[in-house]
Amino acid sequence: MGESLDLISDLPQSILENILTRLSLRDAIRTSVLSTKWRYKWSTLTDLTFDEKCVAPSTERAVVETNLVRFITGVLLLHQGPIHKFHLSTSFLQCRPDIDQWLLFLSRNDIKELVLELGEGEFRVPSCLFNCLKLTRLELCHCEFDPPKSFNGFASLKSLNLHQILVSPEAIESLISGCPVLEFLSLSYFDSLVLSISAPNLMYLYLDGEFKDIFLVNTPKLVAISVSMYMHEDVADFEQSSDYNLVKFLGGVPLLEKLVGYIYFTKYLSIGDDPGRLPITYIHLKTIELYQVSFEDANEVLVLLRLVTHSPNLKELKVSASPIQLFPLEEESFDLFERDYFDYKLPRLETVRMTDVSGIRNELEFIRFLMGTSPVLETVIVTSSLSDKEARMDMVVELLRFPRVSPRAQLLFLQD
Amino acid sequence: MSESDMAIIKPEMMKSYIWLETSDGSIQQVEQEVAMFCPMICHQVLQKGAGSSKNNAISLPQKVSPAMLSLVFDYCRFHQVPGRSNKERKVYDEKFMRMDTKRLCELTSAADSLQLKPLVDLTSRALARIIEGKTPEEIREIFHLPDDLTEEEKLEPLKNTMDDPRIRLLNRLYAKKRKELKERAKLKSIEVEEHVDERSVDDLLSFINGRDHKVVKTSKSKKKNKKKEEHKNGRSNGTCKVSNKDSRNLHSKQRSVDETSSSLGSVSNLLSMEDDIFSPKAEFEDGYIDDEIDPALKEMLDREVEDFARRLNSSWVLSSGQERQPVHFSINGNGATRRLTGPAARQK
Repeated sequence: MGESLDLISDLPQSILENILTRLSLRDAIRTSVLSTKWRYKWSTLTDLTFDEKCVAPSTERAVVETNLVRFITGVLLLHQGPIHKFHLSTSFLQCRPDIDQWLLFLSRNDIKELVLELGEGEFRVPSCLFNCLKLTRLELCHCEFDPPKSFNGFASLKSLNLHQILVSPEAIESLISGCPVLEFLSLSYFDSLVLSISAPNLMYLYLDGEFKDIFLVNTPKLVAISVSMYMHEDVADFEQSSDYNLVKFLGGVPLLEKLVGYIYFTKYLSIGDDPGRLPITYIHLKTIELYQVSFEDANEVLVLLRLVTHSPNLKELKVSASPIQLFPLEEESFDLFERDYFDYKLPRLETVRMTDVSGIRNELEFIRFLMGTSPVLETVIVTSSLSDKEARMDMVVELLRFPRVSPRAQLLFLQD
Repeated sequence: MSESDMAIIKPEMMKSYIWLETSDGSIQQVEQEVAMFCPMICHQVLQKGAGSSKNNAISLPQKVSPAMLSLVFDYCRFHQVPGRSNKERKVYDEKFMRMDTKRLCELTSAADSLQLKPLVDLTSRALARIIEGKTPEEIREIFHLPDDLTEEEKLEPLKNTMDDPRIRLLNRLYAKKRKELKERAKLKSIEVEEHVDERSVDDLLSFINGRDHKVVKTSKSKKKNKKKEEHKNGRSNGTCKVSNKDSRNLHSKQRSVDETSSSLGSVSNLLSMEDDIFSPKAEFEDGYIDDEIDPALKEMLDREVEDFARRLNSSWVLSSGQERQPVHFSINGNGATRRLTGPAARQK
């Protein structure tokens, strides 16, 4: 029996690294005490993920912080070879000079994916970050971001995620336009941002925050958009221009497959002068989810109708109605549905879900419209926010009256 | 998959087979669609036209034994069927992974040689699940790993990712003790060399004169050191002469050792015992000093350190859960104390 009993240490390094990457970093490093062969097997791992679970828990926050800092510094010092992914996610660390040093170290070691999710408190990203020119993914949270004048962008960056970052809009704009291969962009938790996005390869856009105005200047490849738009109570904050926001925002995204909007997004789209027809047909759009649509506002309903009727391949529609305003707008919208909308067909629509329905005219008419134009419709789920049982009953009765074009269509009424 | 299974297949099905030769020289045939699921085999067939007949069998890498090949093909046979749902595949995979660790490791190796990445990932995941959360001892036992790291290496400060100030203290204590023992060893080795030189003459002299070591009375410290080396070499007839030069050197060395021990004393009160140990040592005058003092000292120190370690471990364990067994500090590790041989080691 010349072979050693050792079952595992002589497997190829690629397999061992495959195994080690599936362990937590702490467990992976602990393999260094197994035997002489295992002493440095972990040290060439290229993906490092740190969080407070890497160190022993303690009731004292400062202890955890110090231990974590020592742990990360120790790991980086013992590490050999390139580091491609560095992921630090912990609320225990905020602004520490150690982070600057780690970033400097990483910038010299071919870092490709950098995720820095720190605790509250503006950590100022050091300038060495802007030298990490091999970056393909950057995710920052609770940081201050101030690129130097000489910075031209990250040529290889494909994914950018900025959450609660202190940064000037110009810096973001130039960062985005300086990343020619950017495919995924997520900006969240911003205040009053006016942004112009020019990203020829962008496919996924995720916005969440207080945006005053967004211009999608050059984003022909966008496939999925999700916008949660907050704003001040004063509606007049939105720029009132003659351009129709719907066209301005969604006019240049022919490849769109999924559209999701929350809060005031539909309202934002409805601003401006309606030109009549949309210049664009969304032949790839399969899913529309617009939440908090104010059905009392005819303009918002119009946006909804336009989108739906210009998406011949729409398969799934989810809409939620926003609660009734204190001062409802005039219900001038009867003729909204008298127009030539019923000539449209929604040939692929299968699922419709409408939530928070309060039974106002526009809501019901909209459902009637959907049921009258969708030959393959299967389910319509309606939930209501009404507390009054009678009002609910009336609504259900009315809904049941609507003619259905699809023989398989089911109308399901669910309690909230 | 054995040949007998093949025999059951109806001839009208006209399946084509690939011929494969495993590391032990045995040749078998496998259904084409099953074998071609493995990229390595696929490559051989398409690029080199191998595997079409018994004579032209594809010879598989060494890591692929017949048993492993059979396992791999079971996997391939299931997964190459296109109609299966993801859930079915997952269920199969979970069941498939239930095997002892040895086979799991061999299977990983075999799958890797055949470049079957999904199976490599599956086995790696299973192995990772085995490793995670276990103590080093448990892992060593499962995979039959040799416990060949010195305690020192296991404790090296940089490696101490569970950084505890008490561990650092212990490491310092340990390092100082090592240094001190090193110095004493240096002392001895110098003496040995000198001793060797003198020996030939003195041996002769003493033999001629019929003297024995007990007669000689030099300073206590010198004698102590001298006796150490005598016993070290396993000879009881020591030399009487110690040149002045040497004695001066011995003195200075003794002083430095004392200094070290007193500085150790400042680190912990435990170490003040060392000072005590040093002084009673001087009282022994006999030639048998050697066996008792040096190893005795070492044993005493070892015991102190182990005690300390045990005390440390009990609270260390609570806070880290890293190594559950008490840490053993053995001086006769593979490290710096190599020069201490003979009775010292034997005493342990």
